[in-house]
Amino acid sequence: MSDNRREMMRLLGDFSTIGMSVAFSIFIGVGIGYWLDQKVFGGRTSPWLTMIFLGLGVAAAFKNLYMMSKRKDL
Amino acid sequence: MEHPILFISLLLEALGAPVPHTMVGTTLAAKLSSPHMTYTWLVMAFLIIMPKLTLGKMEMIPGKGQNFWEAIIDGLEGFMADNMGKEGAKMMFPMLATFSFYIVVANMIGLMPGFMSPTSNLNVTLGCTLIVFVTTHILGLKFHGAGYIKHFLGPIPWLIPLMFPIELISHLARILSLSIRLFGNIMAKETLLGILFMLAGAYFAPLPILCLGVFVSIVQALVFVLLSILYFSASMEHAH
Repeated sequence: MSDNRREMMRLLGDFSTIGMSVAFSIFIGVGIGYWLDQKVFGGRTSPWLTMIFLGLGVAAAFKNLYMMSKRKDL
Repeated sequence: MEHPILFISLLLEALGAPVPHTMVGTTLAAKLSSPHMTYTWLVMAFLIIMPKLTLGKMEMIPGKGQNFWEAIIDGLEGFMADNMGKEGAKMMFPMLATFSFYIVVANMIGLMPGFMSPTSNLNVTLGCTLIVFVTTHILGLKFHGAGYIKHFLGPIPWLIPLMFPIELISHLARILSLSIRLFGNIMAKETLLGILFMLAGAYFAPLPILCLGVFVSIVQALVFVLLSILYFSASMEHAH
């Protein structure tokens, strides 16, 4: 494989993760919040921890995008 | 949809093994003889026997078989050295090369009638991904000791309570994205091939999907290995 082609494959791998990392970050945030609400605190804190961790998940998604835009080797 | 004809399952059934008719069986014997397990063993046997047959004796001036394997191994090592440096490539080469060979053969084997891809079952890809995930953190601990926690804390001290959960979530999202991408691509290929064979197999309808399947198999294996390389090198370098 030539250098150009190899570089293209690497970038293809990198950028094919963007959409998935956004979606799964949000899902994992909501999942952790829901688990804390329902299982750990037994539903007493019901909507709040889910909401807070939803926010954290969205923040994690955008942090991933920001880190990718800041990378030196691209 | 019709049940696909898998020749190892048929063979085991004729021998009296409890082959499950759902995705995964209930008892241990049924779990061991479920299709993705038996086809994983087939791939493993292929990968052990095939190089033994083609490699022959190692010589100074390589013959046909040795030349082929040397080209592949050299290409893989160059690919890794580009992304994680010579030292890291030397250290992680056995594991990553195993992953890439296993995933390429496991993806490709599903293109033949009578075989299935073990990677079209989420359990197999999740197993590979968990190995990569655990190895990433072991590497981090090995290179930085207790200071590895700095990777999770971000640059500003008073933002730690905010950054720690965010980093944790983004690390857990890696497990999902790495395993579900491989599983989803290969499962889609298998299902599409099955449906097209059933509908118009006599008129070569699955032929374009077979060609695409070869491409998808190679690209997905490459992407899996590439992303594990990126995760490894990120955990080995200093926190920013």
